[in-house]
Amino acid sequence: MIRTLSEARSRATELAVSVGSRLGADHQLTQLANTAAANIENTLREVRNAAVDKQESAPGLADLHGALQTETQPLAPTPVLTPAVIAFEAPAGLEPEHWLHAFVDQLLAQARDPGGITFESAERLLQQRKDEFLRDFLTARRMYRTYPHLFPEIADDTRQPTSS
Amino acid sequence: MNFDTRGFSQLTRRATDLMAETADVPNVLRIRLGEQHELTRAAREMVASIETFVRELRSFDAFAEPVESDIYQDL
Repeated sequence: MIRTLSEARSRATELAVSVGSRLGADHQLTQLANTAAANIENTLREVRNAAVDKQESAPGLADLHGALQTETQPLAPTPVLTPAVIAFEAPAGLEPEHWLHAFVDQLLAQARDPGGITFESAERLLQQRKDEFLRDFLTARRMYRTYPHLFPEIADDTRQPTSS
Repeated sequence: MNFDTRGFSQLTRRATDLMAETADVPNVLRIRLGEQHELTRAAREMVASIETFVRELRSFDAFAEPVESDIYQDL
């Protein structure tokens, strides 16, 4: 179920971005899409919290935790990263603000955590980077559309050459 | 106000798929946790908001004039 909700959140976010880019942020459809995405996010967060709570509490609802985790837990023991693996060198040309840096930093921090890292936590971290990227992208596009004169380099790149 | 309505059929299909894939979530939670559990209510609210979005999107898509047809009408 967590996987279903996680994928649904991703799709809903993309839909909201697509609708917003066509109709504008203030359009009713965009707001409905954002509401749907937010509700999926809330449900996913509550399901995850419930799964964690039930793991630590009495077995009364242990079956819920099991059901919620079955689809997301690896069958094999979670591999532990060795110190030699816990190193990341950015590929040449990758700018410091690229999302990959933050993602890998968080991933390695999670791996060093006593709780270790699971497929689910890695997936959650990647989803957070993706959501943040989409939000930044929307903000940047709004800025460009509102203040195009502040981005002369982009305007030059996107201007179509006139045929002679 | 003019909108860019291109690709709305595809968006509507994707939204409909999303609705179908999440439709069972409230039922699963209701069976496991009960009708009144907060998770069940949250899931029901989630599904309702998705359904509202899809319904409005379908309605909008049905009334939207495809850009391509405008081009052909001008020829």
